[in-house]
Amino acid sequence: MGGASARLAIDELRSSFATVKGLEILIGKVIAEEWDEVMGPTPYPSVTTLRSWDHRLLERYEPFYSPLCDMCCLCTYGKCDLTAGKKGACGIDIGTQQGKIVLIACLMGAATHTTHSKHILEYLIKKRGRDHPIDLGDEVQLEAPIIRTVAGIRPRTLGELEEVVDYLSSQITQLLSATATGQEENYLDFESKALHAGMLDNVALEVSDVAQISGLGFPKGDAEVSLIDIGMGVVDGSKPVILCVGHNVAPGSETLDYLEKQGLYGQVEVAGICCTAHDLARYRPGTKIIGPLSRQLMFVKSGAADVMIIDQECVRTDSVSEANMMGTRVIATIDQICAGLPDFTFASRETIVEKLVSGEVMGVLVRDPVKVAEVAVRAAMAIAPRRRRELVSRDREILAKVPKCTNCEECRRACPNDLEIDEAVYSAHLGDLQPLADIYDYCMNCGRCVSACPRGIPLLDLIELAAREKIRNEKFKIRAGRGPIRDTEIRNVGRPIVMGEIPGVIAFAGCSNYPQGSRELAEMADEFARRRYIVVASGCSAMDIARYRDADGQTLYEKYPGDFDAGCIANVGSCVANAHIIGAAIKIANIFAKRPLRANFEEIADYILNRVGAVAIAWGAQHQKAASIATGANRLGIPVILGPHGAKYRRAYLGRGDKFEKWNAYNVRTGGITYVGPAPEHLVYVAETKEEAMVTAARLVIRPSDTSKGRLIKLSNYLDLHRKLYGTLPEDFHLFVRTESDLPLGMKDELLTILREKKWQPKEIPELGSTLLERLVPKRA
Amino acid sequence: MVMSTLVRPWETANIVGPKNALTLAPENFAKLAKTAKRPLIVMGAHATKQGVGLTNLCDYAVELARLLKAPIVASPGVFSKFKRDADVPVFGIGIEDLVNRLKEKQWKGLDGHGNYDLVFFLGGIYYFQSLMLATLKHFAPHIKTISVDRFYQPNANFSFINMDESKWKDGLYLMLQQLGGKR
Repeated sequence: MGGASARLAIDELRSSFATVKGLEILIGKVIAEEWDEVMGPTPYPSVTTLRSWDHRLLERYEPFYSPLCDMCCLCTYGKCDLTAGKKGACGIDIGTQQGKIVLIACLMGAATHTTHSKHILEYLIKKRGRDHPIDLGDEVQLEAPIIRTVAGIRPRTLGELEEVVDYLSSQITQLLSATATGQEENYLDFESKALHAGMLDNVALEVSDVAQISGLGFPKGDAEVSLIDIGMGVVDGSKPVILCVGHNVAPGSETLDYLEKQGLYGQVEVAGICCTAHDLARYRPGTKIIGPLSRQLMFVKSGAADVMIIDQECVRTDSVSEANMMGTRVIATIDQICAGLPDFTFASRETIVEKLVSGEVMGVLVRDPVKVAEVAVRAAMAIAPRRRRELVSRDREILAKVPKCTNCEECRRACPNDLEIDEAVYSAHLGDLQPLADIYDYCMNCGRCVSACPRGIPLLDLIELAAREKIRNEKFKIRAGRGPIRDTEIRNVGRPIVMGEIPGVIAFAGCSNYPQGSRELAEMADEFARRRYIVVASGCSAMDIARYRDADGQTLYEKYPGDFDAGCIANVGSCVANAHIIGAAIKIANIFAKRPLRANFEEIADYILNRVGAVAIAWGAQHQKAASIATGANRLGIPVILGPHGAKYRRAYLGRGDKFEKWNAYNVRTGGITYVGPAPEHLVYVAETKEEAMVTAARLVIRPSDTSKGRLIKLSNYLDLHRKLYGTLPEDFHLFVRTESDLPLGMKDELLTILREKKWQPKEIPELGSTLLERLVPKRA
Repeated sequence: MVMSTLVRPWETANIVGPKNALTLAPENFAKLAKTAKRPLIVMGAHATKQGVGLTNLCDYAVELARLLKAPIVASPGVFSKFKRDADVPVFGIGIEDLVNRLKEKQWKGLDGHGNYDLVFFLGGIYYFQSLMLATLKHFAPHIKTISVDRFYQPNANFSFINMDESKWKDGLYLMLQQLGGKR
């Protein structure tokens, strides 16, 4: 449906009734049918349209709250003590307040992605025009599965995405209003609203990435895209360096364009941190990627960048002061981060360059990406030679502060991962820097230790100094973000995924707040790829998977193909490219199973929950955006496993495998109620260790629709991983065995003995599958 | 039992609210532990990382469990470190999964005989354990929790204060002695 407005103009109309001149009628929307799929039941769902689906999910996957704080401080009645059943002055209890906080977090994420989509869309419409076609390549005909499923439109041009963004903004405003004092009062309804916010977030992701792939010519699902340099050591410091930090690619891509136009491409290093880096590498493979958010502070503190362009999202709040301390000039570029800088948007380029180079101002706000590009390049080229001379080694100064340490432990107690920084500093005092160098591998660069040190020891600088050789050699390869999963790939893998013959899709997504460094993430990806799961990655996780070499010296992107297929690892791109992972699940429902997706959210979600064995692992989830992306995936029936820091989101969605009544569903063929087992058992689960995450993932990909062959393959992996990592067979495996044919052949006798001890009985396998939606059971049944 | 309002959480910013754990000295542990009718020991994922001179915190937990007549739930990351021939029941269950069951008063427990009344936490990842204790604090009034880790856990009902390694080790063995075990 094209949602364009129509204008009817009548210059002159004479009738017996009246004479009209110069009449113009503006009709709000004209439905121009270019899509033969019938409109589904829920186009542009309101806050409550999908509430019944949410409550169905929440009945099975109950919210599990872990309050980070026992108080509510959101209004002037507070602080209110909500400990263990106490109510606040407005009547709220701790569970409801946690639901409210979860909704607020999801709204932060959804609003951020929506603003991102609005910015990128406005930029691209200005650059390419409203009629610029949405084109994801010949092998992607189903180009916007989330938008189609949620909004019920099939956008053909950039301009047609605008109404989607308007919808998102309006819904987010309504949801935010529900968080005010005196509004929503039930925790389940807060959760339903959080699920709605998550869904909106997922739509926003898709708007952004579909727009930028079409408007900037990013890869369109090519599995063999370029390998990109990634790591703290990839930047050539002999050249002027421009560092782009954030998520909005526009200022960075304009910078690359400017360099090309001026014949300077290759003479200036353009490097990125976080998702801007992903997208710059999708734009021009010559871009260097420093790494994820967790490398930001240390790289900025290294002073390697001459100019730092910051755009939006995941930019450290102290980025300007830290950069300026090293003489790095900063250009803020987007309304969301003005960073206290003077607004030079309308100043001449010469003026801005002159002021930055002279140091009269160390940072500016320029809300025009084209102008940013020229200013950044000219300033970097002018500043670089001088800065290189000024950047004298500070090593002696840093080391001189080591003896000030009193071993007060404040650094360690401030560290989110309880790293023994104090001990390492003591070793440094004795002349051994190795413990500090070891900490580098586990440090997430939050800088809390620096703030906590009462003696002013520059601990992060010290860690950098100790690990300098390691950092210098930190050079890896990452495959550029490929963008969408091609329809042809879905045709190949749809059936084996739904039948269970490919054991599952494991998506590594989210930020870099890991409990034990990034290596664990790569080890997990390696294990699942080796077991022939389909492994996909995005955002910081996709970067961290690259920061690891196997015994043969290969990174995982060199070791495994980049297809969406068994035994491959596909990097889809930045965090907005998560839309393609979620979209792939929808595509399976549509392309393989022929389910109508147009405005048909509930049915598609029910299909995914019951049949598509996809699980996301957000091992270092930190940002509110990770919460909203994950919650959107949950509404579509995709479970998410979080690392231990993820418990600070305060809410999981946990099922209970031991409560058999929770796992009933409609048998699609007979219409009867049938037990389908705890598959998947949880929608959000926080795992404490890598081992737990892996075993849980192997369990959560199990779906009621698995054929016996598929269930056998999934069970084989679950049992084998459990035995390998825990040393035993899982206690609950009998819950997933429906008939003896489900049992792995090599273990059948052993498992049958256990099943007999557990008094296991064979269960029905619904011939045509199962559903949670009564309306999907044919009437004859 | 000694109460103190001056004790700080180990992770400095982990200020949780008005209700904080009562501090527990190791010498008072046995008195409290013996009040339990259905005790449970929960071993977190950092159990194997805590040297403290103890060769193996898992072996310690088995000894404690034997004296308390309590089963052990071990975080999957450390479950494999328990000897298979341990003469106390050891279950490998995710801690979040376990806590979700504990908060249901009517839960039948690991042996089918009912929920637990006193749960000992040991070897946990500090911040994760804090949050699991927060869940029990708010939603499981039928359970008392004791943290016997090195670091003060404000969300428990009772917790050791922050200790250095040697004091903690001494404290752990004192607990065993008081329960009738051998050092």
